[in-house]
Amino acid sequence: MSRYAVVGKPLPRVDAREKVTGAARYTADVRLPGMLRGKILRSPVPHARIVRIDTSRAERLRGVHAIVTGRDTAGLRVAFVDTPRYPADEPPFALDRVRYIGDEVAAVAAVDDATAEEALALIHVEYEPLPAVFTAADALRPGAPLIHEFEYPGKTIWEDWGARGRPEGEPVPRADNVAARTFVEFGDLTAGFERAHHVRDDRFDVAPVAHAPIEPHAAVAWFDADGRLNMHVASMGIFYKRFVLSKALGLPISQVRIHKSYVGGAFGGKIDVFPYELGAALLAKKAGRPVLMELSRAESLTTTRMDFHAAVRVKTGVDRDGAITAQDIQVTVDTGAYRGTGPVVVFLCYSYNIPVYRVPALRYEGLAVYTNNPVKGPKRGHGAPFIRFAVDSHMDMLAEDLGIDMVELMRRNARDRGEVMPTSGDTLRSCGLKDCIEAAARDGGWAVKRRTADWSATGRYQRGVGISACSMFSGSPYYPFASAAVMKLHDDGGATLFAGTVEMGQGSETTLSQIAAEELGVPLDDIRIVSGDTELTPIEFGSFLSGGAFVTGKAVRLAAADAKRQLLAMAARLLEAGVDDLEARDKRVHVKGLPHRSLGYAEIIAESVKRAGGDPIIGKGHVKSVPDAGLHPSLSTARGRWTEAYGFAAQLAEVEVDTWTGKVRVLRLVTYHDCGFPLNPQIVEGQIEGCVSMALGQTLQERVDLREGQVFNPDFLAYRLPITHDTPDMVSGMIHSDEPHGPFGAKEVGEGAVSGVMAAVANAVHDAAGVRITSLPITPAKVLSALRRRTTEDMGGLERAPHAPQRSDAPRHSRGAPRPRDSFTGSEASS
Amino acid sequence: MKRLIQLTVNGQTRDVPVQPTRTLLDVVRDDLGLTGAKRGCDLGACGACTMLLDGRPVNACLVLAVEAEGAEIVTIEGIAAGGRLDPIQQAFVEHGAVQCGFCTPGLVLATKALLEATPEPCDTAMREALSGNLCRCTGYVKVFDAIRAAARRLREERTCPVTPS
Ligand code: FES
Ligand code: FES
Repeated sequence: MSRYAVVGKPLPRVDAREKVTGAARYTADVRLPGMLRGKILRSPVPHARIVRIDTSRAERLRGVHAIVTGRDTAGLRVAFVDTPRYPADEPPFALDRVRYIGDEVAAVAAVDDATAEEALALIHVEYEPLPAVFTAADALRPGAPLIHEFEYPGKTIWEDWGARGRPEGEPVPRADNVAARTFVEFGDLTAGFERAHHVRDDRFDVAPVAHAPIEPHAAVAWFDADGRLNMHVASMGIFYKRFVLSKALGLPISQVRIHKSYVGGAFGGKIDVFPYELGAALLAKKAGRPVLMELSRAESLTTTRMDFHAAVRVKTGVDRDGAITAQDIQVTVDTGAYRGTGPVVVFLCYSYNIPVYRVPALRYEGLAVYTNNPVKGPKRGHGAPFIRFAVDSHMDMLAEDLGIDMVELMRRNARDRGEVMPTSGDTLRSCGLKDCIEAAARDGGWAVKRRTADWSATGRYQRGVGISACSMFSGSPYYPFASAAVMKLHDDGGATLFAGTVEMGQGSETTLSQIAAEELGVPLDDIRIVSGDTELTPIEFGSFLSGGAFVTGKAVRLAAADAKRQLLAMAARLLEAGVDDLEARDKRVHVKGLPHRSLGYAEIIAESVKRAGGDPIIGKGHVKSVPDAGLHPSLSTARGRWTEAYGFAAQLAEVEVDTWTGKVRVLRLVTYHDCGFPLNPQIVEGQIEGCVSMALGQTLQERVDLREGQVFNPDFLAYRLPITHDTPDMVSGMIHSDEPHGPFGAKEVGEGAVSGVMAAVANAVHDAAGVRITSLPITPAKVLSALRRRTTEDMGGLERAPHAPQRSDAPRHSRGAPRPRDSFTGSEASS
Repeated sequence: MKRLIQLTVNGQTRDVPVQPTRTLLDVVRDDLGLTGAKRGCDLGACGACTMLLDGRPVNACLVLAVEAEGAEIVTIEGIAAGGRLDPIQQAFVEHGAVQCGFCTPGLVLATKALLEATPEPCDTAMREALSGNLCRCTGYVKVFDAIRAAARRLREERTCPVTPS
């Protein structure tokens, strides 16, 4: 029997009823009297100087109430990363330059959509084209056009939070297009490679993908009679949004209120404060009326961040038994026209990789590079999908070279509980990584299904299995660095929980209510939750960096415990017993061992009001996201504490390759996730299934088709998300590792289980058909051309198709390594 | 130039002045104030705007409001009778088929149309019927669970009808 009455149970979500009836209100559903519609004018060119903007004709159009251009935001730069090293670089509206197709130039508010569209067409912008670059490699070439000519030092957000600043000064000329760099080195790399029995060096390439939540981005803004700004936003953390909005708009924080909206999926794409949100606020101010800004699907897909285009090189030395002796990793990402989260992702590629395998000596370099492509931002896993795809594909290749089973190789290198992470000093107080690997291998039938490099069968359909593992933070030191919660008891013993979480599908309203109910000793039905409103709730860390359940969950538990402590103290007086002799459950306080001596919560609360000077009993709790972290750990050196707990997962894919068409079908996807303790197993399963589905999309079919800075598939017809037919058989299991610092032992779930899918599938394709695909997505064209090349080679033929894609570099530093059986890096084969 | 049309939504008939170019989705969301149907793509590709037109699921972003005149239109707001959830809604709640919920109104209505036409759909028929409804959150696994459960529940109700208690 479970220790708990409410947590750990697969209870229905508290928000489900509202959502199945259509009553749940999302931002674009908000209707206010006099509300105008906002639209954005965007750059049609990838790089240009703006010579002139003429809005006069649009201003004269009937029904137009306000227009905003770069003149209204002159001198302002806003960005997710705004540190002394990486000051904000993105003007909300272009003043003199546009840097990508979609860059914001102006915003209009009008009585309806049609009038707003018409007004946009009447704004005349004269562009003078500038040379543009569209790949990281081109942007790094000496003499490449500079996408940002200056860096603008000034007071950054991190200085507001206590970081040491750099003196404000003149704009500093930039020398190159490097937007950010992370460099980490530890151990003796040279000795490590010299000691190695075998070394491989491989390259991988990952195409950019879109978050594509089904809810497009939207914002509503209005100023109330006292001049305070009110907004509904599609967000992942309302306190972070409020902070940036207030700073950018020059309003005191307490003059900005974010109201609750449900969020229709985010996956990382709704954390930034976007120009359309600032535009909505500025238009509302100018027009004196509420403004609804609803982005189109194409705008959402191209201008509200997408995942990075990444190139990864991994070189690893292993000893005779397969233990890693040294590793050298280089990650280069195209971060787009503005920094986005480039500095974060090149840091995270290191930080999400290091908890998986023990590496005694490492050199890691991550580069984020400016181009004239759309801006990149965090997407579920934030770097983990591409670094884990690269490293675990590479490990599978090493396993084959060494003749060691991949699961055995993973086992030998996987980290254990108690290990301390290099550079950050984070300790793995809980770590179920090896259990995840064992369980995935067992349930996935690894031992029996593995073909072990026998590709002699000639049938059309070939099956195989592959495996990979990954890890993820549980919250990090980032604004507002903490979560707090308040628990207000009602006369009948029920309670309202005030927590600033944003319900975006992850189930936070439910799991937090479960935590509150469990701790307070009441059924889930007795908890109401007020969330998502900066005025009604105390600060909250936000639902990013996978800290929602871990950080806010602890604050909620403390708030409930505080309320319960007060209940027990009053009950002790009333029952004439010691507090230690009491226990609280089922909305009653009992004297232990004396079942007839008990009081209901309602009675205790009534007595508290009477005897304790009107105290109705209110509990509060608060917790810092990483209690012993400094305020400003370093993105560029990865020094400083980053998280309290890591979640882990292992994933196994079973695939069928159609050797005639190159099509890969995933038959089964087994995931074991170490989430510490599942607060609600149904929600945890749902998170894993969602991760797997999204990850399979990225692995097999999704790719933002960017050519010369233009997105050619900005809609759901051409950008194909997984549909019902694509869903494989899934096994989503949980490993309980009882994280000592988590609420009821819980830690991250919801992001981790995307990142093992890519390599699991790539390795399974190799197992099935003997071809190694080293670039994502694994399209039929790539598989087919790799299969053809294999057949030609097997027949001893030398001729290659004239347009055959480039073979990846043969291992440069290998000793006795067989040549990779077949590799393919680079873009889609032209067919 | 606006035109006065009669729309019958969830059993109620109303006169609505509309521009002939406006979609059913826009008119229902903006003029009738029923925001349960969502705009995910405005292109007929996501199913978030699904409504039933004479029992058939349609993408309301692809239907002009004037085309829907005379039809029985059902939106997500119209299927919970007297506050009692439809068995399909109930199954979505119980089986964890709802996450962010933005696709949910469309999925529920597509399921309703499916189960009314095919009370016991095979797996392929179920996938086919929902293949026009995108869900980015659930990976569809629990949606399938919910649909199977709803089909079972409806079958039971048909064989031994529930008497109002
Ligand atoms: S909004 Fe109608 S199908 Fe997407
Ligand atoms: S529940 Fe979010 S899109 Fe389906």
